[in-house]
Amino acid sequence: MPDVFVAGVGMTRVGRRSEPLPDLMADAAHAALAEAGLEVPDAIVVATMNPEEFIGDGNFASNVATQMGFADVPTLRVETATSSGAAAFYAGFAQVAAGLRHTVLVVGGEKMTHLTTPRVSELIGRSIDPYERAYGATMPALAGLVTRALMTRGAANAREIAQVAVKNHANAARNPLAHFQDAVTVEQVLESRMVADPLRLLHCCPISDGAAAVVVSAEPARVRVAGIGHGTDTLAMRHRRELTSFGATRMAAREAYGMARFGPERIDVAEVHDAFTPFELISLEDLGLVPPGKAGRATLDGETALDGRLPINPSGGLKARGHPLAATGLAQIVECVWQLTGRAHGRQVAGARRALAHSIGGLATNNWVTLLEARG
Amino acid sequence: MVVAPPASYCPHHPVLMTPDSLPGIGEIVSFTTLHTPPAGFKSPLHLAIVELDGGARFVCHGSDVKGLKVGAAVAIEAIDNIYYFSNLGTLDRARLFWRRAGRAGDRVNAIARSLAKRMWKGKHRAAS
Repeated sequence: MPDVFVAGVGMTRVGRRSEPLPDLMADAAHAALAEAGLEVPDAIVVATMNPEEFIGDGNFASNVATQMGFADVPTLRVETATSSGAAAFYAGFAQVAAGLRHTVLVVGGEKMTHLTTPRVSELIGRSIDPYERAYGATMPALAGLVTRALMTRGAANAREIAQVAVKNHANAARNPLAHFQDAVTVEQVLESRMVADPLRLLHCCPISDGAAAVVVSAEPARVRVAGIGHGTDTLAMRHRRELTSFGATRMAAREAYGMARFGPERIDVAEVHDAFTPFELISLEDLGLVPPGKAGRATLDGETALDGRLPINPSGGLKARGHPLAATGLAQIVECVWQLTGRAHGRQVAGARRALAHSIGGLATNNWVTLLEARG
Repeated sequence: MVVAPPASYCPHHPVLMTPDSLPGIGEIVSFTTLHTPPAGFKSPLHLAIVELDGGARFVCHGSDVKGLKVGAAVAIEAIDNIYYFSNLGTLDRARLFWRRAGRAGDRVNAIARSLAKRMWKGKHRAAS
């Protein structure tokens, strides 16, 4: 398989945005193309989770391509719920790796803040098994079930779960593009409003708008795509034997490490899907980045902080950079590329050579692990 | 694999599933309370995943989670096609034990029958 490189990246500020979604996506895309020194890509892959309902527009590949000035460039759309951005990156990677295209622009975005929170929750909940949804299950509800099981197993305590939010807010405060720019304390997290016991408001990511873009290319560049893995699991939570580990992450990680021919011990920095803070702890273990049962302790000890052994979510993560759904998987890759090329100003992990991005689709039904490596 | 409600195919294999039934007794795998449930549901909304003794897992509503723990023995039953869990008290569990141990006098038998009848309701599921 020929090597595939990241030639350029770009993203918008994440948060409450007034611009239309195609404009946000065009901003991110043109920034990535400018960095790649590319006027027109050979093809485009678009990631949006649910523009049909969030903004009432469909046929979104053509919609975005036209509004970006690329109506004549072949464009397709990819969707795997909240990991759509990572899935689109894979689709772009695969086209280049297969020799079908020389350069592919991958752009993802979502716009939701114009809707009420219950409406957004309902629309995101469309990715839940319909039978479980009929019982009123929402994403926070399913995450609450996971968190309760995790804490009962003794795999994480309230302080450790809160510390993930504290750490990621502290990182976001150093990222001018992040949704949240303020620090929070463990006490603030533990006193925030109960959402789905034992999950509280400050354990959950915000509702955000934003877009991110990556240009993948067969032309050698500073960052190489070392491996990509895809993992899946049952749509229904009740069909799984295990709630406190995500099989889809383990499957994706195995595949990605296998392709890269290196393991988790070589990773210097990672962006991990922390839509709910206990998920960061679960994922660190599923990804093999910390030994089983040690994620909580490692977090409390500062191992995953910006100045720790293995910085996790230097961007602030979904928790504090924000989670504009289909933009997120790409925003993680953008952060990894900035880290690997020494451009994560104010939050740079010194000497980072290998980075991992981990994206969860739905309640861990469709997950991705992407490994990137600095060259030269 | 046993799944509920009935499904055409096993989630992990492309094999057709056939109907089966299980007693509605099991234990709490996890539970949560939603404080701002979706439209159409009253707050607080108690939700649990219950694993029946035969292995099938159900999503259930509950009227209360006070004192409830993961691993607690519960009975589930369907009312208007919605499953509800209820905590089995010490007495209920003792009755169940005697019924299973097959050491039942007339009186225990009568209790066990009534309990079993209650729990066999809504045995609406399929197995692979």
